[in-house]
Amino acid sequence: MGLIYALNGLYFAAFLFLTSLGLSIILGVMGILNLAHGSLYAVGGFIAAFVIGLSAGSAAPLMILAAGGCAMLATAAVGFAMETTLLKPMYRRPLEYQLLMTFGILMLLEDGIKLIFGGESRYASAPFDAMGSVQIMGSTYPLYFLFVMLVAVAAGLFIWWLMVKTRLGIMLRAIEMDRDMAQAMGIPMRALTIVAFVLGASFAGLAGALVVPTTPAVLGMGMDVLIMAFIVVVIGGLGSLKGAFLGSLIVGLTRSFTVAYFAELEMPLLFLIAVIILIIKPEGLFGQK
Amino acid sequence: MGNKSDRRSFLKTAGAVAGGAAAASLLGAGGAAAAKKRGVPSGPIKVAAISFLSGPAAGPFGIPGDNSYKMMADIYNKQGGILGRKIKLISLDEAGGAKGQVELARKLILEDKVDVILGYISSGDCKAVLPLSDELGGLMLAYDCGTHVLMEGKKSPYKTPKYELGFRTAAHLGQDNIALALAIKKYMPNVKKIAGINQDYAWGRDSWHIFELAIKKLIPGVEVVKTLWPKIFTTDFTAHVSALQGSGAQIIHSSLWGGDAVTFMKQAKAAGLFKQAKMALSRGEPYPQEVGAAFPEGQFVCCAGAHYFLYPAWDKWPLNKWFVAEYKKRYNKYPTYPSYHAFQAITAYKVAVEKAASLVGGWPTIDEIAKAMGNLGFETPSGYLTINKDHNAREDCLVGITKMTKDYPFPILDPDRLEVFPSFQVNAPAGMRTEDWIKSWK
Repeated sequence: MGLIYALNGLYFAAFLFLTSLGLSIILGVMGILNLAHGSLYAVGGFIAAFVIGLSAGSAAPLMILAAGGCAMLATAAVGFAMETTLLKPMYRRPLEYQLLMTFGILMLLEDGIKLIFGGESRYASAPFDAMGSVQIMGSTYPLYFLFVMLVAVAAGLFIWWLMVKTRLGIMLRAIEMDRDMAQAMGIPMRALTIVAFVLGASFAGLAGALVVPTTPAVLGMGMDVLIMAFIVVVIGGLGSLKGAFLGSLIVGLTRSFTVAYFAELEMPLLFLIAVIILIIKPEGLFGQK
Repeated sequence: MGNKSDRRSFLKTAGAVAGGAAAASLLGAGGAAAAKKRGVPSGPIKVAAISFLSGPAAGPFGIPGDNSYKMMADIYNKQGGILGRKIKLISLDEAGGAKGQVELARKLILEDKVDVILGYISSGDCKAVLPLSDELGGLMLAYDCGTHVLMEGKKSPYKTPKYELGFRTAAHLGQDNIALALAIKKYMPNVKKIAGINQDYAWGRDSWHIFELAIKKLIPGVEVVKTLWPKIFTTDFTAHVSALQGSGAQIIHSSLWGGDAVTFMKQAKAAGLFKQAKMALSRGEPYPQEVGAAFPEGQFVCCAGAHYFLYPAWDKWPLNKWFVAEYKKRYNKYPTYPSYHAFQAITAYKVAVEKAASLVGGWPTIDEIAKAMGNLGFETPSGYLTINKDHNAREDCLVGITKMTKDYPFPILDPDRLEVFPSFQVNAPAGMRTEDWIKSWK
């Protein structure tokens, strides 16, 4: 069972990586701790569930592509609206204003979802069911989980390429490293801030879209994910892509093996790791001081 | 389904009380005539119905319960209401936590002056709010929450009733889990290894505790090989599924609910868990319909009482046939156990008012209604329901085994393997704690 425990850990890590990626980008480039990130994830989940419902009966890849695409577009649009109207006036204010504002947005989005989609759970497991399972060393394993791992790897590579190999990414990293210097160098701060937020929001939407084939979209679905994403960011380091990757792996694998061997410690152990990191390396494994 | 004679016969029966021959005459036309002596207020009866209308518990529990309240209020109003007074149903959302529900209950009783609160899916909400019934002088009927300790004292024997104005009108988790253990003893008497996966809060812990106590009494050699406590609203059960597979358990007990139950069942099926183990789902009745054909066959499912759209059989018990047809007509789904529980709550209030009115000769006070309700019996779509002197409902409990048929797009409970345990076999006597009762079994 060891291989299956490891695969389970990798799947959960992939899911966490996708959810914490956007949070990390926004935190790194903009310095904003976006408490509404979980709600953007929920928006993506509900949009995807709706689209999968409309495309039921289609081939699984088509359903996932349509759901993921629509969820990313919708959350990008919501993110754009959030940044340009509610967050923009907060940049020059102290951190607690930003926290209060993003918490307010979280509640607004939750109510918005309820208004549009109603209070009931939405089931959209068609792609998960359609993909079926494969045999791995005598154990049955759902193919969809392997697919999510591939998407997470692809998303990580895309963000790496964007941040390291493109002019846009270099400017974003410059902002991340020294905001004042970047501004003095003539980097278009306003436009890039919007780009970073929209990018982060769309990744939250993608994560929401990828999770609904495995679990129903429900109101409040973003809260737990937000907590787990924060654990990843705390462990990996604020605003670090490498940190998000390693943090996700640590959390995913630790959880999987803990459930198998010391089930009672599932959550306490994760929090304990985060606490230890906060004490001995407060900026996280790959974060900047 | 739903022919006119069935409907007429139900309306005739439900319009009166059906706790027995004497009660029928008390609460029929006689009750209405007696009520005229003291007088009946002219305004509508304010009935607050509180269920989760949003959030994860809305889909499987709150909305089916609320649907049933609306349906029955409409039907009773068309019959003339209760002693001629129309029911004004106030549907409210249970979301907001126990503190919010306590505040809401205070407002409903003190400011809005509701006649009765029918409420609560969450055990935490029930435990927080029900003590207010006596404190504020408001009648409260806990209609769906599962905690077995709600009406119990700290040690046996305890004084009954715990609350003068607080009642429970449906089964609790003690009943569910004892019935499951009894069914397992019948179908798998030689089971050696069991495991549990239950949410990490009072509901999950209590459900497992009662099940473990009961199954170890009934099958003494059974070994617990794994107990898992995922946090509520877990989206990824892969680690838990693998851990269960590695444990070699033959039976896996679970009280998972809502999205957690659906998510677990789907992920477990995809990973092949059901090839080696059977689930024993303590309140699993709604999920075959929620999951559809992907819900696995051969699993033990308890029905939170004897609530099932195909039981009691429609030819034997037309009231179930009528209820199912009426609900399906209005909401395009088969009723699930919360719908039946809501029927029981609103009907218990109606029957108790009519019974009390017949005795006092007019519209009864809250205390008079409570007194009538503390010794009540009536027909429901699931059979007979009694509310005992401990203000706790007693009903039979149904456990079935899922089976796919050509008649429905989801597995039903196999009609040839329905086990109905009488209320005395799954409920502790009044004044005795469920836990102590199980421990006393020889």
